Amino acid sequence: MNKHVKTITPETSDLSRRSFLVGTAATGLVLGYAGVPGIGEALAAAPANFEPSVWYAISPDGLVTVTCGKADMGQHIASTMAQIVCEELGAKWSDMRVNLASNDPKFNDPVLGAQITGGSWSTMMNFDAMSRAGAAGRMALTEGAATAMGVPASELVVRDSVVSHAKSKKQMSFADVVKSGKATKTFTPDELKAIKLKTPDQYTMIGVSVPQLDIPSKTNGTAKYGIDVMIPGMVYGAVVTPPVRYGTTVKSVDESDAKKVPGFIKAVTLDDKTQTTTGWVVAVANTYANAKKAAAALKVSYDGGPNAKLSSESLLDEAKRLQGLDDSGQFFVKDGDVGAALGTAAKVLEAEYTTSINIHAPMEPMNATAEFKGDILHIYSGNQFATRSGAIAAGAAGIDPKFVVMHQMWLGGGFGRRLDADMMVPAVQAAKAVGKPVKVIYTRENDMTMDFSRPLTYQKVKAGIDGDGKLIALSHDVVSAWPTQRWGIPDFLSPSVDKKGPLDAFTVNGSDFFYTVPNHNVRAIKNEMAHNATPSGQLRSVAPGWTFWAVESMIDEIAAAAGKDPAQYRISLLDGAGKNDGGAQRLRNTLLAAMGLAGYGTKKLPKGEGMGVACVSSQERATASWTACVAHVAVAPSGEVTVKKLTVATDVGTQVHPDNIRAQVEGAALWGLSLALYEKATLKDGGIEQTNFDGYTPLRMSQMPEVAVAVIANGEKATGVGEPAVTVVAPAIGNAIFNASGARVRALPITAEAVKGAMKA
Amino acid sequence: MPTLTINGRSMSVDAANDTPLLWAIREQLQMTGTKFGCGAGLCGACTVHVNGEAVRSCQTMVGDVAGKKITTIEGLSAKGDHPLQKAWIAEQVPQCGYCQSGQIMQAASLLAKNANPTKEEVVAHMDGNLCRCMTYSRIQKAIMRAATEMRTASAAGNERRPT
Repeated sequence: MNKHVKTITPETSDLSRRSFLVGTAATGLVLGYAGVPGIGEALAAAPANFEPSVWYAISPDGLVTVTCGKADMGQHIASTMAQIVCEELGAKWSDMRVNLASNDPKFNDPVLGAQITGGSWSTMMNFDAMSRAGAAGRMALTEGAATAMGVPASELVVRDSVVSHAKSKKQMSFADVVKSGKATKTFTPDELKAIKLKTPDQYTMIGVSVPQLDIPSKTNGTAKYGIDVMIPGMVYGAVVTPPVRYGTTVKSVDESDAKKVPGFIKAVTLDDKTQTTTGWVVAVANTYANAKKAAAALKVSYDGGPNAKLSSESLLDEAKRLQGLDDSGQFFVKDGDVGAALGTAAKVLEAEYTTSINIHAPMEPMNATAEFKGDILHIYSGNQFATRSGAIAAGAAGIDPKFVVMHQMWLGGGFGRRLDADMMVPAVQAAKAVGKPVKVIYTRENDMTMDFSRPLTYQKVKAGIDGDGKLIALSHDVVSAWPTQRWGIPDFLSPSVDKKGPLDAFTVNGSDFFYTVPNHNVRAIKNEMAHNATPSGQLRSVAPGWTFWAVESMIDEIAAAAGKDPAQYRISLLDGAGKNDGGAQRLRNTLLAAMGLAGYGTKKLPKGEGMGVACVSSQERATASWTACVAHVAVAPSGEVTVKKLTVATDVGTQVHPDNIRAQVEGAALWGLSLALYEKATLKDGGIEQTNFDGYTPLRMSQMPEVAVAVIANGEKATGVGEPAVTVVAPAIGNAIFNASGARVRALPITAEAVKGAMKA
Repeated sequence: MPTLTINGRSMSVDAANDTPLLWAIREQLQMTGTKFGCGAGLCGACTVHVNGEAVRSCQTMVGDVAGKKITTIEGLSAKGDHPLQKAWIAEQVPQCGYCQSGQIMQAASLLAKNANPTKEEVVAHMDGNLCRCMTYSRIQKAIMRAATEMRTASAAGNERRPT
């Protein structure tokens, strides 16, 4: 388990306005402009507001503005935080507003101790803190109203932003109480912890699909994304990125033609000590159109560096070589004695699974605006990891991170891409060079070829079954670039079981599944060549996007070898023994729900059609949402696959917003389909070959199958929903293809050629 | 300095004729509802109307639209209450929302001509607009909802009108 998610019991929220670094993830990265004289006052809210917590303020007009410390990239997390506060506060939903937090550490995640958004962690890790903050506000308002009305606080009821006293028929709105100035009660962390929260039967907001607060602004063009930031005196930067993804250096820049472009200001060759970028040049001009023209006119010559000859094939060959070495990598799981068990097995199966390089490609291309104002560097950008990105911006500027203020914007898609801070480097260095605020916008071509991509992966799985077909041993090697090690934050790495130093669990999570397998090894092997040539990132659920592709395909292969139904075989493996107790049963139930909804095993299908199942957990074992999928496909003799329907069931414990969960699960499932069939990037001569949406082709409307979603809310704690449905779809489709045609495919994305080839085999 | 007629107003922009309309709208006129997605006419995020037709503003040059009637998301309705915008809220379509201005403008050009589209017609008309959050099914539902509302409103209008 990763260190940063160990403390799953949320700690207290911070009412004292001091920041508690509850987690340890931010160690060494503690940022805080709060320490800079003058700046705190400049950014503080109007003093007349009532601020019972750092997380929200109630203004004298009664509006409750929740400050969301999580990046909102379409998962409506800002609205969700407001909903959780609103439940305990007793406010009227129409009084709720949201605000996006700056990088002040007081807005750090109460569990993670940093500002980072990912992993489907946000609801799970903030539910308690937001609930307590809301309840504290309600108690303070109640006490204030009691004083103002001269009645006992214990006789007051709070509902719809009104505090009322039934006996005397007196009442005060939140606005009245705030204006009275009588709401003054404060809470120590211990008092906060002692607050008795509502029980689920008392909820009036949690579980209700209230209108998302951000949606109206996203239908009329008023929502402000990073790309929409306008600063007085601002100029624009277009980046010239090298043909090789990483490791190049600029030898020379010829500006003579660029100087002829009207509005051209300067070409800035980046000197990136953070090593986030290599060989980039920014063309700065008065408009973006002119900056692009100037960028195109620059003649840049490069030293291609050590990766200039590498291709997808070389990365895969290297992965296979590394996997073949006995001493490669470190163990993530080492249960029992796999070698001995394989020796006694009645049958041993071996299979190799691969996934291609994949690109995030959010619709809003990467961008950032940088402005130096006095000692302070202001960054405007939609970002998922303000804590680290602020430090990268500071590194690019050559200043202390405490002088960086990150202004959060709505994110035009994140999916993990905006955990990175590369876009800040050209903005900062260009702003410094020209002495003006600069907005840098990537072209789609920059965005695709310089993505921190989902890495190419190679996995080898070996399984042993006994005479009864029981799975007794599984050995699983995972070879990939290490996306999270790249961050350079030790607390995001995990110790290896064989004590060979920390490993990047974001490459193997998911392989520590909930099946009972007495002898089980997982080896995490870093593909150093891929790591250097294709600096990788976290793409929506990260490792489970490939580990479950291997595991869930292999389970079907094993079931077939054992002559068992693959769904029933899974159920027998989900027996809840030992460490799997609890999780395994929930996953089994979810699988059964999906099977029931899809008509698995009951629906008669025509020839050439089949259903396949898969079941998964989330980004980490410790943060699981239990998710299962039944894919129904038709396979043509040509190998062409048509996905007719995806049925997804997910156990989320408690639903905060049922409609949003369905939206997230459906979007995630379609991402899974897109990655399974339509998205593939390739490396050639060190560069990503696909440059726009003609070469890299995410799912379009015409390719969308029917999607059925069943949400299981059984009263357990709320878990995350943005990711698990991504990872369950590809293996379900692969397994359905096998059941429809007998073709076993082991490479993502699945192609008609591969299916046809496997049919013949 | 070219003069553009945008959302019923005449505005001059400080941009060369070969400047994409997208950037003139966003930077010169500071109307940022129209989005940049691909710069190649492949994603539809920058869709606006020129004389009622949905076009990709990243592929339309300022010099080519002088004297023509341009409508952006900001001008689709006076108060953000075009039937499509209302339907987008009713169906809670947007996730990240970045592509949705383009989606709505693309859909509006369909409903202006065909207030009773089939699902297939909707898909054919909308297939050039990418949504990376994959909100496609809600987009379809919202278009159908708006179409129904427009037909109902138009039928009611017809009834009231003396013959």
